[in-house]
Amino acid sequence: MKTTITEKDGKTIVAVQGELDTDTSKEFQKDVEPLMEKHGLTVEMDFSQLEYISSKAIRVLISFQQRVIAQGGSLKVVNVQPAVMEIFDMTGLSRSFLE
Amino acid sequence: MKLNLTIRKGILLLLLVFGLILAGTTYFSIRYSRDVYVNNEYEGVMDDLRVLGRQIDEGLSANVKNPYVFLETAASDQEEYENFSFVLRDSTGTVLAPAFAAGKTLRMKRIQKLKRDGSACMADLWGDRCFIVFYQIPGRPLDLVAVYDDDYVFEDVYEALRLFVLYVVAIYLVLVLLSWFWIIPALERTLEKKQRVESELQSARDLQQKAVTQQFPAGSWFDIHAELRAMKEVGGDIYLCGMVGDKLGFVVGDVSDKGTPAAFMMFMLSSFMRSRLQAGMPLDQLMDEVNELICDNPDYEMFCTLFMGIIDPKTLEMTYCNAGHTKTILNGSFLEQDPQLIAGIVKEYTFHTQTLQLHRGDRLLLYSDGVTEARDESRAFFGEQRLLNWMEQRPAEEPATDTCQALLDTLAAFRQKAPQNDDIAIMCIKI
Repeated sequence: MKTTITEKDGKTIVAVQGELDTDTSKEFQKDVEPLMEKHGLTVEMDFSQLEYISSKAIRVLISFQQRVIAQGGSLKVVNVQPAVMEIFDMTGLSRSFLE
Repeated sequence: MKLNLTIRKGILLLLLVFGLILAGTTYFSIRYSRDVYVNNEYEGVMDDLRVLGRQIDEGLSANVKNPYVFLETAASDQEEYENFSFVLRDSTGTVLAPAFAAGKTLRMKRIQKLKRDGSACMADLWGDRCFIVFYQIPGRPLDLVAVYDDDYVFEDVYEALRLFVLYVVAIYLVLVLLSWFWIIPALERTLEKKQRVESELQSARDLQQKAVTQQFPAGSWFDIHAELRAMKEVGGDIYLCGMVGDKLGFVVGDVSDKGTPAAFMMFMLSSFMRSRLQAGMPLDQLMDEVNELICDNPDYEMFCTLFMGIIDPKTLEMTYCNAGHTKTILNGSFLEQDPQLIAGIVKEYTFHTQTLQLHRGDRLLLYSDGVTEARDESRAFFGEQRLLNWMEQRPAEEPATDTCQALLDTLAAFRQKAPQNDDIAIMCIKI
């Protein structure tokens, strides 16, 4: 799992590569921790290279989104691959992450 | 926590053994350096002795037994071994042959019986500590003895050795002090911390075990069983089942956090759901309330996937409500489940139920994602398809208990040596 954070057109792009499972979600949480403190961020999660997400990682993602929103920002997920999309659909999260 | 006596004794024993090893090493290194030093520094003298030995051997009468040759020095020349000379005496001290070497023949004050100790030894001779070298002439019953003044030979070596011993003793003492005042207390603190974490985990595990149903309901029209395999780290998988009037109610869920808070929350949720289910609360309403309950405790940062169901024995109709939980399997295919949000994210979310007509002989399998996301050694997932195929192959007459156990066995076989990476909850219901 690899997280790359870049700035583009006023947006914070967080690209995640590989698998987000129980172990790597802890790393992911550390990687995005600094973003949780910033105000009014527009975060775009690029999941084009994310192959898998576990329910534990979803929890981290939800926390991240809630923190960003609490700081007056927004977070959405783009380029979701079918395997991850299936998990989003199953957990009813497609709407809250993709719209 | 204080270290118990055995551990303290163990540490002291270790220190003692370490001290003995140090002492032994020091002793042997002194002996070794002494031999090396003498061999290097007095090689010339030893060569002289060999030559002398041959001369003596050739000149000796055959009936003299155990003669000794002493290397002696004049009192005034004690620091110049070039002036040593050799005297051959028998064991009573009688002079057998006069001086052989180029130097002077010296007066013997007293002969002290020498104790041989390898090729070299320390001895008291004429009241002084001396260093004695033996030289065995091959094939002949004759030893040559060279006597050197102790202080003279070892002045430098002894100085170095004294320092060495001093350092060794100092290091040893420092180690003992460190162990006593730092290492042992640090060890005690670490153990105490570990014990605290362990006991916290244990109480969390106890909570988790108490949260799930202990006694499975029995009835003539159904057979139900469930299994929970928690990881070492306590997770939040849960199952509940019981009679709701004459209906069978059941819940399988996964609280997505670990440790005591998750276990505590799960315990709270299970009590809450159990009491509400028994009171006959509709599933959609119950799910809404569970959702609110979790949302009202944001400090836990916790979410929960849940599948709840109730089966009516008269009509065999199942009413169910799913909050982002894994797809339930009916016989060999997935149940149609409307995607609904995980509980605990949006307080205002409204859940709804679905219904399904079951038939005699139907078998339901509910599980947590620890089943489909079990990984083998190559990190491949067990996956939904494999689970469907497995379920299709179960014999119709297999009791629910056996189905649960068989799935646990299958997962263990699939993982091979890979560790269990998540909690596993399984529930099987046969109609």
